[in-house]
Amino acid sequence: MSDENGAGQPKKMRSKRIRPYALTGGRTKPRYDLLVETLISVPHYDPSLSDSLMPESRKLYERARTRVSIAELSVLLGIPLGVVRVLVSDLAAQGAIYIHPTAHAYQHDRNVLERILDGLKRLPA
Amino acid sequence: MRSVLIVGAGQSGLQLALTLREHDYDVTVMSARTPDEIRGGRVMSTQCMFRDALQHERDHGLNLWESQTVKVEGLGLSIAGPDSSRALDWFCRLDDYAQSVDQRVKMAGWLELFEQRGGKLIIHGVTTADLDSLSSMYDLVVVAAGKGELVGLFDRDDARSPYSTPQRILSVVYAHGVERRPEHPEFAAVRFSIIPGVGELFMIPAYTLSGNCDILFFEGIPGGPLDCWDDRPEPQEHLNRTLELMRRYLPWEYERSRNAELTDSKATLTGSYPPVVRKPVGELPSGNIVLGMADVVVANDPITGQGSNNASKCAAVYLDRILQRGSEPFDRQWMHGTFETYWDYAQHVTQWTNAMLQPPPPHVMDILGAAQHNEAVARRFVNGFCDPSDFQHWFMDPEKAAAYLASVGADRANSG
Repeated sequence: MSDENGAGQPKKMRSKRIRPYALTGGRTKPRYDLLVETLISVPHYDPSLSDSLMPESRKLYERARTRVSIAELSVLLGIPLGVVRVLVSDLAAQGAIYIHPTAHAYQHDRNVLERILDGLKRLPA
Repeated sequence: MRSVLIVGAGQSGLQLALTLREHDYDVTVMSARTPDEIRGGRVMSTQCMFRDALQHERDHGLNLWESQTVKVEGLGLSIAGPDSSRALDWFCRLDDYAQSVDQRVKMAGWLELFEQRGGKLIIHGVTTADLDSLSSMYDLVVVAAGKGELVGLFDRDDARSPYSTPQRILSVVYAHGVERRPEHPEFAAVRFSIIPGVGELFMIPAYTLSGNCDILFFEGIPGGPLDCWDDRPEPQEHLNRTLELMRRYLPWEYERSRNAELTDSKATLTGSYPPVVRKPVGELPSGNIVLGMADVVVANDPITGQGSNNASKCAAVYLDRILQRGSEPFDRQWMHGTFETYWDYAQHVTQWTNAMLQPPPPHVMDILGAAQHNEAVARRFVNGFCDPSDFQHWFMDPEKAAAYLASVGADRANSG
């Protein structure tokens, strides 16, 4: 399995004191507006990366091997929403997690918006 | 690299975050809103900042709007008489100009700058449960969100908090089209008008999303005629009501405001809160501790316009203390010491501000009256807004006030 996180260094970093900022060398990262409905998944599962994570992040990384929303992660793992957002943001910054675009990304696509609206109307009241 | 979590994206939290990034600290800021949501939201404050506070921003390259923002070059005081006359009316230049940048502009811009400078921004309204887990992941957690449930982590300090209810009802409107006072058309100035027994109006030149403007800021004594915002009027009605109150109580200020227009559809704000000083260390259910800053721990009434100035100075003190700490733990003792270092300064602001909420005692009326004729008195008063710790030496005490006025030849016998 290829290691996409840069020369395998993250695997040795077990201390919770080492923040992802150290791993990315201070490069500016895009910000992820993680909404409760935002879906995330692990694009390339890496067991050694999983081993290197602190416990909460590891649980989250393992659970996201199948696609899951931020809200579900918070409930399933019993971790407060704000903490999930911080941990997911950290993992995403390392490229360990993929953040799926939400309806915001389709705001100019009439077909997708109509499909979403249709789905909402069919929800039981 | 030490890691710091800052909850809150206002003047104090972001200034501390940005200045810690200069020293390569690993800084995460949690903000309830994105930069665009802040820009598209309601006005938040009046935020007129004086030289010492502005200088902190210059020192760290954070003064991104200084060149386009109107310079507040002086401060004037009027006291309304019973028949809409002016019992007092004077103006004095500040030694150094002040400026007010709408926090919608500044905090949105600073959040983006923070990310450009390698900071991590998480958009989330933080709860106590979040903080309980997050606090173990950072070397230091600072709470700089002055509103919301997190403030409840910090106990009220009764000995330092004389009030338990709001002392003023606040109303803010940002407007274009306000003219300058005819006495000084060449200068923009903060004009402070007192309506005895009713409240105060501040008119503050400022820079907002649509350029320079003026802020019309009423402070109403609860139960009085300026306590009239319970119906949460729509912005245009809010402006109309503000102008009507100005016409009734302060017609000379209404005259130059008759063409005022809202700067935008979110340009109004009302509210009230009791002034309070809190204990600086908050304890979470896990036993982890967090440090409160700025208006989380010292929330004065805005009557002296010191909220953002205090926030700036608090951020400067906390930065120094964090840097001095090196790699030692940010423990309870360090947190208390850090707050007390800030309180050495802030106590003077709190005492002066709390005094200004009361009807002015005779020695204060002597000072404000003397300022009309005596340049030295006026100058000392207006420059006190930059560093209110000076007021303890002359303004806060009847004997010291009398001695000072005599020393500059402005005692009552002379000023007659």
